[in-house]
Amino acid sequence: MAVITLKNIKKNFGAVGVIGNVNLTIGEGELVIFVGPSGSGKSTLLRLVAGLEEVTGGQILIDGADVTDLGPAERQLSMVFQSYALYPTKTVRQNMSFGLEVARLPKAEIKARVDRVAGILKLEDYMDRKPRALSGGQRQRVAIGRAIVREPVAFLFDEPLSNLDAALRVEMRIEIAKLHQRLAATMIYVTHDQVEAMTLADKIVVLDKGDIQQVGSPMELYEHPANLFVAQFIGSPKMNVLSAHVDGKSVAFENGSRFALAGTAPVGLSKIGFRPEDISLVKDGGGQLSGTVEVVERLGSDTFAYVSVAPDSIITVRAIGNVAAITAGQKVGLALELSRLHLFAANGQTIVRPR
Amino acid sequence: MSIAGKSQKSAKFRCNRLLLTAVLGLYFIYTFIPIFYVITASTKTNPDLFNTFGLWFSNDFHLWQNLRDLFTLYDGIFLKWLRNTFVYATVSAVGSTVFATLAGYAFAKYDFAGKKFFYALVLGAVMIPQTALVIPIFLLLSEVGLLNTAWAVILPSLVFPTGVFLMRAYVDDAISNEIIDAGRVDGAGEFHIFSKLAFRMLMPGFTTVFILAFVANWNNYFLPLVVLNSPENFPVTVGLANWYATAVGGTGGVLLYTVVMAGSLVSILPVIIAFLIMQRFWQGGLGAGGVKA
Amino acid sequence: MSGTVTKRRPKSRVIISKKIAPYIFLLPFLLFFFAFLIVPLLYAFDLSVYKKTLVGGTRFVGGENYVKAFTDPKFWDGVLTLFKFGLMQIPIMLGLALLFALILDSGIVYAKSFFRVSFFIPYAVPAVIATLMWGYLYGPAYGPLTQVADALSLPRPEFFSAGAILPSIANIAVWEYMGYNMIIYVAALQSIPQDLEEASMMDGASAFAYAAKIKLPMIVPTIIVTIIFSIIGTLQLFAEPYLMINLARNVINTSYTPNIYAYTLAFTAQQINYSAAISFVLGGVVAVVSYVFMLAVNRGDDK
Repeated sequence: MAVITLKNIKKNFGAVGVIGNVNLTIGEGELVIFVGPSGSGKSTLLRLVAGLEEVTGGQILIDGADVTDLGPAERQLSMVFQSYALYPTKTVRQNMSFGLEVARLPKAEIKARVDRVAGILKLEDYMDRKPRALSGGQRQRVAIGRAIVREPVAFLFDEPLSNLDAALRVEMRIEIAKLHQRLAATMIYVTHDQVEAMTLADKIVVLDKGDIQQVGSPMELYEHPANLFVAQFIGSPKMNVLSAHVDGKSVAFENGSRFALAGTAPVGLSKIGFRPEDISLVKDGGGQLSGTVEVVERLGSDTFAYVSVAPDSIITVRAIGNVAAITAGQKVGLALELSRLHLFAANGQTIVRPR
Repeated sequence: MSIAGKSQKSAKFRCNRLLLTAVLGLYFIYTFIPIFYVITASTKTNPDLFNTFGLWFSNDFHLWQNLRDLFTLYDGIFLKWLRNTFVYATVSAVGSTVFATLAGYAFAKYDFAGKKFFYALVLGAVMIPQTALVIPIFLLLSEVGLLNTAWAVILPSLVFPTGVFLMRAYVDDAISNEIIDAGRVDGAGEFHIFSKLAFRMLMPGFTTVFILAFVANWNNYFLPLVVLNSPENFPVTVGLANWYATAVGGTGGVLLYTVVMAGSLVSILPVIIAFLIMQRFWQGGLGAGGVKA
Repeated sequence: MSGTVTKRRPKSRVIISKKIAPYIFLLPFLLFFFAFLIVPLLYAFDLSVYKKTLVGGTRFVGGENYVKAFTDPKFWDGVLTLFKFGLMQIPIMLGLALLFALILDSGIVYAKSFFRVSFFIPYAVPAVIATLMWGYLYGPAYGPLTQVADALSLPRPEFFSAGAILPSIANIAVWEYMGYNMIIYVAALQSIPQDLEEASMMDGASAFAYAAKIKLPMIVPTIIVTIIFSIIGTLQLFAEPYLMINLARNVINTSYTPNIYAYTLAFTAQQINYSAAISFVLGGVVAVVSYVFMLAVNRGDDK
């Protein structure tokens, strides 16, 4: 398995810059997830790694060797596509064998490899079917099987689960996680779904507008987002963000409520973020903020209250304790866990405070 | 596809159904009359053609005699015409469809310098009256000495811009970019991808374009009329039209009347039968192209 | 950074092949496209600016043939004939095609696929043979339609008279091409999602209202395309009237349509150069008419 290094990667489509300047190393056996909204360049970056697009500038290295000017198969990568991209006129077996046949492997070896992978993915019973006779989950497995038989140095996944329904998505997510453990393979996985990113990744790369916003483990990104974009992108429900400014020694929200922070006042403060679980509902008048409960969502395991603290500004609270008593229309106070606030400057960067 | 699911049984629905079926039935009679006429006329003697009711058979069943005349007249030249038509139409249709498929695939699946320019040319060519080209083609062919050969009919017919237009739409519809990328990741080259993966996925579109090209060439009249001059090279259309002109021209040609009808019958039957057999294919392919068009 | 850059390899064959593949796919088509479309076009243009004279051979005359074409009443009479023909034939043909397509698509008739296929069959009949068939049917002496009229003691229909010849030819064209257009409409209608029909039923629309108000507007782009192709087809009219010259000798002359005129000029009158100019002006007329029609349609869209 391989180390993949991206050096100063740039990509323009015509005059439009899609990837600004990306530097990244993907370690051996790592499952790295590119995540970002649509248009962030995550899929383009993956296609650059795959060799399906040519870079405008920069270098791609696999195990130290420059592969920038090689075609996809020559990079010895394999890829699982969003639409699975199974060859509709070929059977499952032929789909899985095709790449090996192109590489002119001996027939016996092709059969052995395909059979072994079919066993791993429990595809034995479907080998002679055409893709259209398979369910979504089976097609997904064939697509993964086709990637595995080639014994690539790394796997690339382009939003592989987005065409599946919710239940199947969870199931396949677990299968991919097991597969990663089993193969100990380097994998790059693109998704717009931050839940997939959080649950699967060894390392997440958050992209926006063609630039890397932050690289780190899921919990690092969750706990210490480098900027407002990452803070709001990672985590579900989203982090609450309110405008705020420094007023003398304390910090004031726009509606006037103010409170003191330990240590020195954060210079250049523009916004404060806090996660739904870092708020507790208290009696009206208590806490740093007060507002009216608009909607209560009871999910069984969790209860979320949506509290409006100002016109157009609704705070999501994960309520704990006596959640049955919360009702819409109630006036409540919000007590913030001050040690877990995220402070952002006007340019969106996190203001790092000594802890 | 039934519109009025639950009201199927209502009297009003049944009434509409009978009325609309009757409308279609009337048009069917209109469609069928000329064909039926050809059938009855082919079975008559020349005097009967003029003296008995046109839309029914006469007592004297003369079909076999007419067919014998058709195939023996002028040393059996009609058979040559049939064979010529078949060769011209098949070679032209295969060639033009293959070229259109390759070109349509390139337009649908690649970005390359000059793409917009070339495609605009193709679209513009769809608009050019083909007949406006026939006279200069005649002169050019005469300069290279190809006049009055099969090539004179076939080579110009290999250009089928409408086919390119239809195939581009069909490729767009039938083959996702991801399939082609999957082939590339699997290590297949561009031509390998086309021949081993894409082409089979394009069969319905290919069949449709082939049939359109085949019919167009089977029916072609103006081009062969201009570029061919010896009767043994004529396709059926030109040959029969000549006999017809002789027949209606009066003097001596009158005997050709029923032979021309028998010839018409013989030349349309194979195509009609082929259409009926292959309807499943052409209707499928026309869908994708037609909608995009 | 340049210090750590690994030595660059030359571009892989695979990458290069991806760049040249489209040109290779296009090559066969373009080859014939240039040889039998572009070159003849240029050649025709070249011809059209020369003139052959009895003394002095062929000489360059610039726009003279065009000036002549633009003021040639024979040419413009032919164009006028085509306009009359098109205004008669295209609406009838496409109107019927649309009506039948909607009826077939609504599924409320018996024997749907039988009608669909049989209406399409005339398309497989060569125009030449269709003209022969209808020519016999129209026949003033022996034609069955005359026989029917005689039997009913009605006046004999005069299909080849000056007033009737154009509708007679238009009828042949409708017979040949109605089904082809109908099939295109049927295909377009089939692509309309089923749930639209269900939505309109929920709204209480009748089958007829659904066909007229929902389905019809959705296939307007297809209808426009068929109209343009019909216009182009009409302006190329040749085989049908040409074959009827002998039947209606007093009505159809050698300049009845521009195509017949160009053909006669080139092969009977030996005026190749002028014939080329006529073809070019006809091509121009096709382009202008198609363009004006497109413009009118787009104008309508904006409102």
